[in-house]
Amino acid sequence: MYHIIETDVVVVGAGAAGTMAAIKARQADANVKIVVLDKSHMDTSGGAGRGMDALNTMSVPPYSYPEDVVEHTTKVTEGVLDQNVSYEFGKRCPQLIEDLEKIMDREKGSLFPVDEDGNYQLFYLHPIQKPLLLPMDGEEMKRALAKAVRDSDATVYNRTAALQVITEDNVVKGVFAFNIRTGDYYYFKTKSVCLTTGCAARMGLASSGYLVGCYEFPGNAGDGYYMAYQAGAELVNMECFQANSLIKDHQGPGCGYVAAPRGAYGTDKSGNPTWSHGYSSGDSKMGSWKAFAEGRGPTHLKMSHLPEEESQVIEKILWGNERTSRKIFHQNRGQDYRDGKAVELAFAEEIGVCGGHSSSGVLADENGASSVKGLYVAGDVDGGLPHSYLGGALVMGGLIGEKAAEYSSEFNTSVDYKGLKKWIKNEIETFEEPLKRDNGLPTDLVEYKARTRIQHYMKPPKNPEFLEIAVWWMERIRKEDLPRIKAVDYHDLLKTYEIKCILAVGEMMARSSLYRTESRWGYQHWRVDIPESKSEWDGQWVVIKKQGDSMKLSKRKVPDLKWDFPAKMEYEYPELSFDVGIPFKKEANWINPKQDKWMAGTLEKQGMATPRKFMPGKEK
Amino acid sequence: MTLFNINTIEKANYEWIEVDASRCNKCGICVEYCPMDVLAMDSKGYPFMKYRDDCWYCDVCTFFCPRVAISMNDLPYLIS
Repeated sequence: MYHIIETDVVVVGAGAAGTMAAIKARQADANVKIVVLDKSHMDTSGGAGRGMDALNTMSVPPYSYPEDVVEHTTKVTEGVLDQNVSYEFGKRCPQLIEDLEKIMDREKGSLFPVDEDGNYQLFYLHPIQKPLLLPMDGEEMKRALAKAVRDSDATVYNRTAALQVITEDNVVKGVFAFNIRTGDYYYFKTKSVCLTTGCAARMGLASSGYLVGCYEFPGNAGDGYYMAYQAGAELVNMECFQANSLIKDHQGPGCGYVAAPRGAYGTDKSGNPTWSHGYSSGDSKMGSWKAFAEGRGPTHLKMSHLPEEESQVIEKILWGNERTSRKIFHQNRGQDYRDGKAVELAFAEEIGVCGGHSSSGVLADENGASSVKGLYVAGDVDGGLPHSYLGGALVMGGLIGEKAAEYSSEFNTSVDYKGLKKWIKNEIETFEEPLKRDNGLPTDLVEYKARTRIQHYMKPPKNPEFLEIAVWWMERIRKEDLPRIKAVDYHDLLKTYEIKCILAVGEMMARSSLYRTESRWGYQHWRVDIPESKSEWDGQWVVIKKQGDSMKLSKRKVPDLKWDFPAKMEYEYPELSFDVGIPFKKEANWINPKQDKWMAGTLEKQGMATPRKFMPGKEK
Repeated sequence: MTLFNINTIEKANYEWIEVDASRCNKCGICVEYCPMDVLAMDSKGYPFMKYRDDCWYCDVCTFFCPRVAISMNDLPYLIS
C-alpha cells in the first residue's frame, strides 16, 4: 500500500539535528506543514538516544568566543574548511543553551555547569588555549526533544525510512519512504527537506566481528550521504576518515572526552602517554597508531591516578549516559576504573566517515543549504561544519529548520507530478525484488563481506593499490551480490537498502582518497606513497558529485579564510622502511621454467583433471 | 535463517535480554521504543529478541520498562 501526502518540510532522521529542525521550523512559521521521518523511533534514535554528557565544541562567553571555534576548526581541519560556517555556529551556541534548558525544563546550573560568577563553565580539551567543551547532564535530552516535536504539531512517522530525495532540475520535490514494520510506502510532496540522517556508522567492521558493534548509532548506515548524492548534491572530505580510540570490543566511546578533561589520558603498555592531548584530531590518532606499530600496545585510558571522588564522577557519567552498557561490560570483566589498565582501547578498528567527529559529508553553507535547492543538511551528515559534534547538530539542525520553513513559505513551485502513481508502483516493485526471490544471499553475509573489505583495504596508512582494490570490491558487490540478496521481511529489506548505502559511501571514501594526492589530517588521510602535505592541496576540498552513472571528483578551493589562525597540527609522518637484516639465500632449482619437466609431463598426461583413483565406493 | 541473524518468531536458545514473565504485563513499551527494532512480541505476548543480532546493547528496553521486567545482565557474546 502506498500513500501520497502533501507537506512543506520533510525532516529525514529524527536524531538531535532532526528534532531540533522540526521544533525550530514550527517556531519560525506557525502554519508550515512539517513531517518527521525516523527509521527508528524518535524518542530513542540516533547517537544521543540515551543522551549525552557534553556538548563537545561550544563557544560561550566569557570562556570562549566564536573566533575560538574558528581557531579550533581551522587547526584540526588544517585549513580545509569554510570558516564562515564555524563562526556562524559559534555565534549561535549561547542561544542553544537557552533553548535546551527550556525544552528540557531545567534551571540554570542544572543541565550545564555554572561557575561562581554565574557563567556557564567550559572545560579545556581542544588543541587551542581556550575551553570549548560544555559538560551536560543530558541523559533525557532526546526524549525531551521528541516531546517538543510532538508539541509543535509536526506529523511524526516512526519506523519509516526515507529511501530517496526526489528532485527536478536540481530542486527538491519529494521524499520516498517506507515503513519497516508495515511495509507501507509514502511519497511526500514537499518543497524542502532537512536531511539529518547522521553519519555512516557501519563501514569498516571492528575485530569483534559483531555487525552492529559500532561506535556510532548503527541505524546510520550512510543513508543521508547516499540520498544526497543520488539527489545531485555535492559531498566533501570523504577521504578524511573517522578512526577513533574506542573501548576494545565494546566499541563505545573511549571515554576520552569525559575522562580527559578530568585528568585521564591514553597510555601505551608502559604507561607512557600516547600523545600530548586528548582531542581526537589527526595527530593524536597518529600517536595511537604509532603505539601499536611500535609494539607498544595495548593502549589504555589511564584514570588510576585520579582521586576517588573523580572516579565516582566518571562512573556516574559513563554509566548513565550515551552508552550505559559500559557498566555491565566492565563489571562483567571484573574491571575497575581505579586500575590503570581497566579500559583497554582499540584504535581505528572501524574506519568510517562523519561530519561531526571529522569533516566528511554533504557540502553545506552557513545556512545548512546544500547545492540542491530546498535540500538542507545538519548534524553528522553535514560536511560543511567540521568537528562540531552534538552542539553543531543541535545548532545547525535548528537553523535548517528555520531556513526550510522560510524557503517553503516563500518558494512557489510549479512541480509536475504527472505519472507519479506509476513511478511509485515501479519503485516499489524494484525495491521489493529481494523479498520476492525464492532464495539468495542473506543480507548479513553481504554486509559482512562489504565491511571486512572496507576495513582491510581502506584502513590508513592508505596506498593507491589497496584503494583500487577497495573500489573493485565495492563495485563488484554492488553489481554481482546486491541483485542476489534474499530479504526475508521488511526489516531485512531495509538492510538491503542500507548495504547499498554502505557500498556507495565506501566507494566515495576510496575514490576521494585516491584523488587527494597528498597526506593530510595526520592519520585520517595518510598516503604511504605521498607521506606529506602538498601546498597545492592547501585549502582545497575534494568534491564528489554524481554525473550520470559515475562518481565525478573535482578539486575546489574553500572560501577565502578570513581569520589567519594556524592551519597545521604538529606531527610528522613516519618513514615506513624496516630493515629486517640479511635474508637467507638459496640456489634456484632452475633458471628456465621449461626445465620443470616432471610436472610439465604430468600436466600433459592428466590435463587439468584430478585423477580419482582411491575413491569411496570403488574399493572391491 | 541465516548465519548471523536468527530472525525467528519465538525466543531463541540464546538471548542477552531476560524477561521476567511474572512481572511483564505485555504492555509493549520495549517493543515500541527499541531503537534498532530488535524486539517483538512472541505468541504469548511477551517480548523477545526477534532480530537478536541487531541489538546495539543500548539498554533502552531495561531503562524504559515500567515494571522492571526486563534485564540485560550481559552483552552480546561477541562483545562481552
